[in-house]
Amino acid sequence: MNTVLVAVIVINIILALLFSLGAAPILVWVERRVAGFIQDRLGPNRCNINGFRLGGLIQSFADMLKLVFKEDFKAKAIKEKFVFTLAPVIVFVSAFLSYMVMPFADNLVIGSQTFIMQGLPINLGALWFLAFAGLSIYGIILGGWSSNNKYSLLGSIRAGAQVISYEASMTLALVSLLVTYGSINLVDMVNFQSKLLFGFIPAWGIVIQPLAAVIFIVTAFAEANRTPFDIAEGESEIVGGYHTEYSAMKFGLFFVGEYVAMSASSALIVTLFFGGYNLPWLGTDTLKENFHTIMLAIIVILPLLSLLFGRWIIKNNVWPSRDDKRNNESKWLIRVLILINIIVIGILGCFLINGITETTTNIAVAIIQIATFAIKLLLMNFVFVWVRWTLPRFRYDQLQNLGWKILLPLSIANIFLTALVVVGLGV
Amino acid sequence: MTDILFLILSLFALTGAVGMITLSSTMHSALSFVVTVMALAGLYALLSASFLFMVQIIIYAGAIIALLLFIIMFLNIRQDHTPKEPNKYMTMLLIAIVLAPMDYLLFTAFARMPHIEDFSTKIDNFGDIKMLGNALFRGWLLPFEAISILLLVALIGSIVLARKKERR
Repeated sequence: MNTVLVAVIVINIILALLFSLGAAPILVWVERRVAGFIQDRLGPNRCNINGFRLGGLIQSFADMLKLVFKEDFKAKAIKEKFVFTLAPVIVFVSAFLSYMVMPFADNLVIGSQTFIMQGLPINLGALWFLAFAGLSIYGIILGGWSSNNKYSLLGSIRAGAQVISYEASMTLALVSLLVTYGSINLVDMVNFQSKLLFGFIPAWGIVIQPLAAVIFIVTAFAEANRTPFDIAEGESEIVGGYHTEYSAMKFGLFFVGEYVAMSASSALIVTLFFGGYNLPWLGTDTLKENFHTIMLAIIVILPLLSLLFGRWIIKNNVWPSRDDKRNNESKWLIRVLILINIIVIGILGCFLINGITETTTNIAVAIIQIATFAIKLLLMNFVFVWVRWTLPRFRYDQLQNLGWKILLPLSIANIFLTALVVVGLGV
Repeated sequence: MTDILFLILSLFALTGAVGMITLSSTMHSALSFVVTVMALAGLYALLSASFLFMVQIIIYAGAIIALLLFIIMFLNIRQDHTPKEPNKYMTMLLIAIVLAPMDYLLFTAFARMPHIEDFSTKIDNFGDIKMLGNALFRGWLLPFEAISILLLVALIGSIVLARKKERR
């Protein structure tokens, strides 16, 4: 147990926490603002702390506080008190655990040690996700059952049927990917995708396995209980579904758990199909070799992007009245932006002048890859939100038809096709 | 550390198994079976069979018992629907007595096992997915296929039995 080991493990766990728990308020904000945008309204933008609104992000924190301080009401008809309390915890914990195996960056080499950049350094990444994503259904089933309420029971029956049906197709789609990548380790899978196809297309999963990608993304929507598969809480039919009887932080756990599960699904989709932490055309080795060029590129591009962002802030958030509190926000945001620029350019300039050691290069590459992963994750989460506010809900029979009669045969056919190609090419 | 984990996990497994038999509500029985299954998965992980640990959770906890719970809810089984068992504990005691020679056999077999001090695995990638796959699909292909066909027969049989009879 040396200091570096402990530091890397602590940083990994903090990163996993940030990406899962920390992402929840941001995702709530994204969801509301995008919903507003799609429905041609504004969404939450008034809540502020001394003029600071951050585009409405403060609203999410206010909502979280509200959930914590609300009265924890429980109906008298609920007899299974223990199960009733346990259910949201199961949903939250299993969503959270399924996040722990997502690789944020390539294996980090410091000195003679190699670290796997995951919350939990486990080789069986894809299986771990399947295991714990599958367990979250217990929370929904038990929550609905212990609520002792017809609507809740209906909701949890629907959720159970849906998740069991779609898990089959999801696993089979994953099998065809395992055949292609030849490994179950998520880091190996991402490194496979850093190659180039025909010399110019990044060999991302979505290019090699388009059918598996479509099946997996559809089933991931169903697993996360998101629209168009949210019949479990179809509010127009069965009030709130499995969480009708829940209030305060117990509901909050369901709510946050849903977002963490969504984020975990997006992280797995990004890892499997969109090159994970890789920048397109720039694998880990390319990044390390050409690090000087990349530092120069960052020094040029970062101020330009900041300038554009600053002008956007000034255009949208500068108000005519001099003592308007909202002007404070713009002022401070621009100061923070300038500070970030000075720090980053300063550090990179030092490296450029003084030269850079191998360990520092490795750490810098890991930071770039973490940032890439975060951006890809945000984009995939945006797709989840986008679909939710665009498509209507499936009817129950349509859902089962899609699951068993279309997705399952397609995924089995895809496995056969993949196996034929892999054996035929002899890779 | 391993010993303590083993004790805790086996305690959970046994409690779950006893609960599954004795609890009267179907839902509670199924839930306590989940505890057993999860504890068993933990025991596999302790034996450094990480793949088996995952499969246990995915297949047993994630699929089979979830399906069981779903069906219990779907049929909406209530306390008064289940058959009455007036002499439940008496029957259990009788069965325990009948099975006692079996237990004796197991214990003697266990006592006669060679005493091993070192329980660490001999190779690094023990229980690895690649080794398991190679063993299963090279050495034991025929038994594997036979079991698959058995499962397929069971599946088709249940569908045939459950299908509505056509009216003539």
